[in-house]
Amino acid sequence: MLAKEFEFHAPEELDAALGVLGNGGGIVKVLAGGMSLVPAMNLGLVRPDTVLSLNHVRGLDQVEDRGDSIAIGAMVRHDRIAADPEIGSAFPLLATAARAIGDVQIRHRGTFGGSLAHADPAADYLPVMTVLGATLRLRSSDGERIVPAREFFVDIMLTDLGRDELLVEVEVPKQPDSARSAYVRLARVEGSFAIVNAAAVVDEGKAAIAIGGATGAPVLIEPDVDLSGGLSEEALEEIGDSAYEATDEAFGDLNSSAEYRRELARVFARRAVQTALGQRDGGPE
Amino acid sequence: MRTSISVTVNGSARTVELDQRATLVQMLRETLGLTGTHVGCATGSCGACTVMLDGRTVKSCCVLAADVAGQEITTIEALSSSASDLHPIQRAFVANQGLQCGYCTPGVVMSTLQLLQENQDPTPAEVRHAIAGNLCRCTGYQLIVQSVMEAARLMREPAPATR
Repeated sequence: MLAKEFEFHAPEELDAALGVLGNGGGIVKVLAGGMSLVPAMNLGLVRPDTVLSLNHVRGLDQVEDRGDSIAIGAMVRHDRIAADPEIGSAFPLLATAARAIGDVQIRHRGTFGGSLAHADPAADYLPVMTVLGATLRLRSSDGERIVPAREFFVDIMLTDLGRDELLVEVEVPKQPDSARSAYVRLARVEGSFAIVNAAAVVDEGKAAIAIGGATGAPVLIEPDVDLSGGLSEEALEEIGDSAYEATDEAFGDLNSSAEYRRELARVFARRAVQTALGQRDGGPE
Repeated sequence: MRTSISVTVNGSARTVELDQRATLVQMLRETLGLTGTHVGCATGSCGACTVMLDGRTVKSCCVLAADVAGQEITTIEALSSSASDLHPIQRAFVANQGLQCGYCTPGVVMSTLQLLQENQDPTPAEVRHAIAGNLCRCTGYQLIVQSVMEAARLMREPAPATR
């Protein structure tokens, strides 16, 4: 089966890509790894008039250490995020998240920026970028905008990205040496999208936890707890309660009801902090 | 709209004319006649269409053919020239009944090739992770894992001397 007729562009220069995006008629879909877009086109769910591939655009697949941050190009593929020594050392939770995506073949082709721009609510990178306070660089023919991850994700598959904008790079601030972090998820089968996932950073007695999969966009909580003397049962209760309260707009679907997702948010916020503090194995649930 | 791309397929440079909507697996099967690569789901779930793109396995139903211009594709056909000249992975699958209906097998073999290029001595758990992107609807996973383990042994050990 073939998709509906479309114009296909695979430019090598970013400016040319931005030009296609600015001038393309009708529905223009940006093709990164294609791990979500091409299946949707094969099924006839997405019928673009123009497909703009970024796979040959130069300069979008760099990982660059900028001292206080690491900049990750939008076209860096998942298997590199999972294995890159700089990323693994600065953001071990990001490498953990990348390893959880899909399967070997999908990690070879799927991209960091594609996942963020697609913004599936259960995508593994969303809570990680949210909790780490990453910023996204969006380019258009008119210039660029820097948008915090905490504002970029709006709702299910809905972001702040304008029609004429491309996500080109994400800058992730390095955490203090004293910070501890973790990424945890619940999925029924290896390779499945998570139902709920959570990323935590714990530093100087404070915890920040971003929870994905429960609501349309990740929610960030900073529970009123002091962990400097260790992780008490009371603190864990408070973390779980905060996660439950923050996910009051949880959605339900075939996998699980909204109420079940909220309970998972409670459990996985706790587990994320426990795993960050080395009190729990972060392996597959 | 028709388009023309140059690619390298199993070591041979090819110029292929195709509909620019075609996926990579459609190009391989329908334009080049390389029907060893199968289409199961066309949604990236089953892995029957697994081929190597620049030496890394991908699901060829989810890659547009027009998007791989200039790249190198390796399919199951590259592994052996005839039934009497099987690749060690293929011999291991035959010897261990690593297939029932055989539909998923070309994809599983390509994933096995990727694994054994990176890890010559995998554990059964590593084998299961490596083939997680390949579904077998006959659910013959035990024998597939056994076949991959034997393939690893065959590829590690030098071929026995023939008399």
